[in-house]
Amino acid sequence: MTNKLRALLAAGTIAGTSLITGFAQAADTIKVGVLHSLSGTMAISETTLKDAMMMMIEDQNAKGGLLGKKLEAVVVDPASNWPLFAEKARELISKDKVDVVFGCWTSVSRKSVLPVFEELNSLLFYPVQYEGEESSRNVFYTGAAPNQQAIPAVDYLMSEEGGEAKRWVLLGTDYVYPRTTNKILRAYLKAKGVAEADIMENYTPFGHSDWQTIVSDVKKFASAGKKTAVVSTINGDANVPFYKELANQGVKAEDIPVVAFSVGEEELAGLDTGPLVGHLAAWNYFMSVDTPENDAFIAQWKAFIKDDKRVTNDPMEAHYIGFKMWAQAVEQAGTTDVDAVRQAMYGQEVKNLTGGVAVMNTNHHLSKPVMVGEIQPDGQLETVWETEGVVKGDAWSDYIPESAKLTADWTYPWVCGNCEKPKFAVMAE
Amino acid sequence: MTQPSNAPFSFLYQDRGGQIFLSLLLAVTLLVPILNVAVSPESALHVPSYMVSLLGKYLCFALLALSVDLIWGFAGILSLGHGAFFALGGYAMGMHLMRQIGDRGVYGDPVLPDFMVFLNWQELPWYWYGFDSFAFAAVMVLLVPGALAFLFGWFAFRSRVTGVYLSIITQAMTYALMLAFFRNDMGFGGNNGLTDFKDILGYDIQGDGTRLALFVASALALALGYGVGRFIAASRLGRVLVGVRDAESRTRFLGYRVEYYKLFVFCVSAMLAGIAGALYVPQVGIINPSEFAPANSIEIVIWVAVGGRGTLYGAVLGAILINYGKTYFTGALPEAWLYVLGSLFILVTLFLPKGLVGSLPAFSLPRKQESPQAHAGEDKPSDTPHPPSPTSEARP
Amino acid sequence: MVFRMLSVLLLMGGFLIPTVAFAAGSFEDALANLNSRKFKDKQQAITRIAESGDARALVTLEALLAGQLFTRKSDKKVLIGEKSHEVYRLTDPLTGQETGQAPSKELKKIRINNKLRGLLRGAIGGLTLLSPDPDKRLAAADAVFKARSADMVPVLEKALQREEESQIQERLARALAAIQASHNQDPAQKVIAIDQLSHYSEPDVRALLGNIAQNDESEIVRDAAQKALERVEQDLARWALLGNLFQGISLGSVLLLAAVGLAITFGVMGVINMAHGELVMLGAYTTFVVQDVIRSAAPELFEYSLFIAIPAAFIVAGSVGMLIERSVIRYLYGRPLETLLATWGLSLILQQFMRTLFGPTNQEVGTPDWMSGFVEITGGLVLTYNRIAIIVFSLFVVLLLALILRKTAFGLQMRAVTQNRPMAASMGIRTGVVDMMTFGLGAGIAGMAGVALSQIDNVSPNLGQTYIIDSFMVVVFGGVGNLWGTLVGAFSIGIVNKFLEPVSGAVLGKIIVLVAIILFIQKRPRGLFALKGRAVES
Repeated sequence: MTNKLRALLAAGTIAGTSLITGFAQAADTIKVGVLHSLSGTMAISETTLKDAMMMMIEDQNAKGGLLGKKLEAVVVDPASNWPLFAEKARELISKDKVDVVFGCWTSVSRKSVLPVFEELNSLLFYPVQYEGEESSRNVFYTGAAPNQQAIPAVDYLMSEEGGEAKRWVLLGTDYVYPRTTNKILRAYLKAKGVAEADIMENYTPFGHSDWQTIVSDVKKFASAGKKTAVVSTINGDANVPFYKELANQGVKAEDIPVVAFSVGEEELAGLDTGPLVGHLAAWNYFMSVDTPENDAFIAQWKAFIKDDKRVTNDPMEAHYIGFKMWAQAVEQAGTTDVDAVRQAMYGQEVKNLTGGVAVMNTNHHLSKPVMVGEIQPDGQLETVWETEGVVKGDAWSDYIPESAKLTADWTYPWVCGNCEKPKFAVMAE
Repeated sequence: MTQPSNAPFSFLYQDRGGQIFLSLLLAVTLLVPILNVAVSPESALHVPSYMVSLLGKYLCFALLALSVDLIWGFAGILSLGHGAFFALGGYAMGMHLMRQIGDRGVYGDPVLPDFMVFLNWQELPWYWYGFDSFAFAAVMVLLVPGALAFLFGWFAFRSRVTGVYLSIITQAMTYALMLAFFRNDMGFGGNNGLTDFKDILGYDIQGDGTRLALFVASALALALGYGVGRFIAASRLGRVLVGVRDAESRTRFLGYRVEYYKLFVFCVSAMLAGIAGALYVPQVGIINPSEFAPANSIEIVIWVAVGGRGTLYGAVLGAILINYGKTYFTGALPEAWLYVLGSLFILVTLFLPKGLVGSLPAFSLPRKQESPQAHAGEDKPSDTPHPPSPTSEARP
Repeated sequence: MVFRMLSVLLLMGGFLIPTVAFAAGSFEDALANLNSRKFKDKQQAITRIAESGDARALVTLEALLAGQLFTRKSDKKVLIGEKSHEVYRLTDPLTGQETGQAPSKELKKIRINNKLRGLLRGAIGGLTLLSPDPDKRLAAADAVFKARSADMVPVLEKALQREEESQIQERLARALAAIQASHNQDPAQKVIAIDQLSHYSEPDVRALLGNIAQNDESEIVRDAAQKALERVEQDLARWALLGNLFQGISLGSVLLLAAVGLAITFGVMGVINMAHGELVMLGAYTTFVVQDVIRSAAPELFEYSLFIAIPAAFIVAGSVGMLIERSVIRYLYGRPLETLLATWGLSLILQQFMRTLFGPTNQEVGTPDWMSGFVEITGGLVLTYNRIAIIVFSLFVVLLLALILRKTAFGLQMRAVTQNRPMAASMGIRTGVVDMMTFGLGAGIAGMAGVALSQIDNVSPNLGQTYIIDSFMVVVFGGVGNLWGTLVGAFSIGIVNKFLEPVSGAVLGKIIVLVAIILFIQKRPRGLFALKGRAVES
């Protein structure tokens, strides 16, 4: 009996000490935390980003690292579990002492880790298009804000070239990104003179797989005599069954174009895109864009992942830009100290893979080009329209009254992510 | 020591496993704050604040597992939806913490939480009233899960829904709640849930002191939960419950109103789960509908099974070990941890059918008064559509 | 007389010759103009090509629509390219001759957008209205209907006269009426056309009528359109009800497929099989692998790929099932709740295993041609072939299973072991083998379900998780251990869900169904079709 007890106590002690000893580690490398789900529902999207990060870190090391030190990736698996994201973020920062973290995909995972990054003053690079309405001092948003994706796409569909849509279906998964985007779009469409009756909004749960009713509803809504377009903010898993239903019910892009903000090359890889040709997606990057930088990146990716069929997508480019900017900022600051790097980030420039130059703004959002592409039979998206020059990411949408008045600017005299007047206004005067 | 005693709280130290468990819990509760505050950060023995929160989280899970063990191990009710009660308790606390933010939210609205401002809500929905008071929220933490459990149990137990049928409808319950809470129209923040909390009872929620206090509170809650569980198990009520577990029909024919016993313990268990949820939320800083996910509830049952059911501390051990394993392996083996965890579940089921503590003789309960047959029945919860074995009892 | 005829002929000839000459030049010019970066220029070029009357126009436009028209970077020549392996085989649209090969690097695809695509379909429609191929004529009639170009009237009238197949006649008449209703100068003619249109209860016609009812200049026309619109809408609403029923049955068949394997492993054997969803996933991945092999080894078999995948999936999932039974589950008989724990562990391992093996992303499973597209019962009721196939398949699976259970020796043994194991054993039935086979059967059927689900859902490691809860719900709702119950349960849940969805929305509908099931179980604690007798009490 006492033996067993002793054994149990011993086991407990070992477990306890192994936890504690984990904290003491030497810092002769620069540590980069990678916080992407490798299991669970989001693994399907996030694993690619983890691989992309590994590739870029390897590449940087081959070039000699940073500040004479090697980079070391610290990969953890938050398992698509939002509270676990917060726990893992804390572990990366407190225990592994990483200098920067690249990670998250869903808005809720970002919201979950946000307090941790702010409390421990670390840096997160968030690579996915999102709903805006946020600007944290500790996060750099390298994905698109709504004004860099949704609004240009709608502009295109309203244009003569895009088919002069007059009636709109806003389809989305019921969570904050679609809700916000659709709220902004609704306000925008109204400003453009679209009547309330010409907008249909519909929300479905995550992983919704039976789209028969909704697709027939869309067809019905579209048969009211005005050119109808669908704006889809359907998330992740639900897209494949949605597009399969569209294809089977014969919804042709010439009749009812569907423009999506969450469907990229990676999602299309799981689909037979033959019947979907002409449906649209709006992003800041397409794999099909023909530039030397992009060709090199794609070649590097295919070699790294050892699979000739793998595709690249927009969030990967966002990580690419984010990582390059961070590396430049570290070189410039001469340290990985968070405050120094943050200062050095502002105005940092990196060449986009699709041409032009991305710039980090003081609201922690990028200026990037916006493109609208059409789905091709080979699963690629080809640009049919793009903005002239870059669009500056807007943390606070101009179309939502309560956020239109807010400003995000992390430099003096504002030093604020959501203010109506500068924090240091008095001193500034 | 194995003799029933009339001393107050004797039920707590009647069995050795409970003694060990309580002393360990006491030691951890005392040591962690000391090692956190008094030991210098350079020392190998220092417990960083990060660990304090993590341990606090484990303790909440432990309490949750204990609540499941109370109904599964003692009354034979296998709930695959206990995460729902946990999440409801969590939401009650989360709503209080949301109200505490006041005008410090992003949009600076003094009354409405950010997500409501954002969705153009004009005023606070009625079910948010009262949550600005901590006392009210604390009552709700108990009341909401308790009421749901009462309502659900009232129908289910009276209709004599048992076994797998009960398990599956508890799963349906938590699944329905998950879908409902995902809806932004419900007014609970949709998929993002409630987050961005600032302070609790006037203390900064991220302060080291607050973390310690929450940790200690979790430990106390666990001890309290254990006490309640042991008290119920040791009482006459507990014996009836064991009777229900092993031979429900026979107990009914003896004249016991089985449904009331089950209903009582089900409600107690739901409230314990609610407390666990309420303590969990301020420590992890977020509550969202994924806590209602059926997979989470299944996982809780697995903690109990791995630890060993029918002992209470077995559940605690299972919850802490598996969650520690998760923390460790998701960092150490990010690509392979599911293999480790999955194999662990299979191996435990195959080789340690009574769970970890059941396999250690030191921990088995001295339940000499029970017949060996009842013991055998423990592994055959009554109502499953499996071919009857010759030993199965309780045929009416 | 003869002189007059001759002169007419001459005149016509004289008129024709310069036209052809002009058209030929115009075709070449227009072709070169396709090179422009501006979609406006391309639009003009397409119109000119279509109007050129040139024999080469059709091939060129079809290639452009299919994305097979390229510009060679070296000499800016517009060429038709067909991909064969890594290179493109090039054809010159001007001469129709092959002009060698080029890798994709040397070519630039001529891009089109939706607007041009619509224009192209209309133009191609105009050019193929008189085609000898009836399928092409049908497609052309619909394309012309959509394009609604007034220029098409003469060709359409000619085509209508010649047409012998009544279905195509109907479509041609619809197209003609649509053009008349939109473009005729005479309001009376418009009203006649609208009246004709009102016999077509189709969404497209509804759209057109709606447009006319709002925008036409003449009030008489607007009124007529309004009336026609009401009539069409009434018809459509009636059909929509039937459509709803079909969707419900279709959802029911998906639920049935997902649940029927579980009806064996859980319903009959009492194993709370949490890895059931993963067995379905294995079936879906088998389909992917089968198609992959077929694509590279024998592309001509692709149309039959699913028929190869079905037995393959049965074997793969069935063997995995038997392996699971032999290595894990057989030690757990008598402790059914513990099977929950072990199979949950298995499901985690299987998910991660597929992730490691195939990567975390979705795999592409193609739909054979015979399963894509839809059949229009009328315009208002569109039944998609893949859904019909799945309904038929699900019923086939249940029938097959019922036959195995009722009519074979194995089925008899299985039932014997289920009902009274020791008695069965003492009658000489090898219960261990029967257990293994039963579990294998349930798993194999789950695999077959995976083949069907691969046609409508993601083929990813998460596939199984999507269906596991629904499957349990169906089995429990129908009554554990009762195949008939599973069938009725699945279809009733599906149909109720689909009738709720338009009213309450997808999420609320699902919640209502779940609550209804919970309440229903209170009424009938053993499901829809409860097994009777003592065995169930144990």
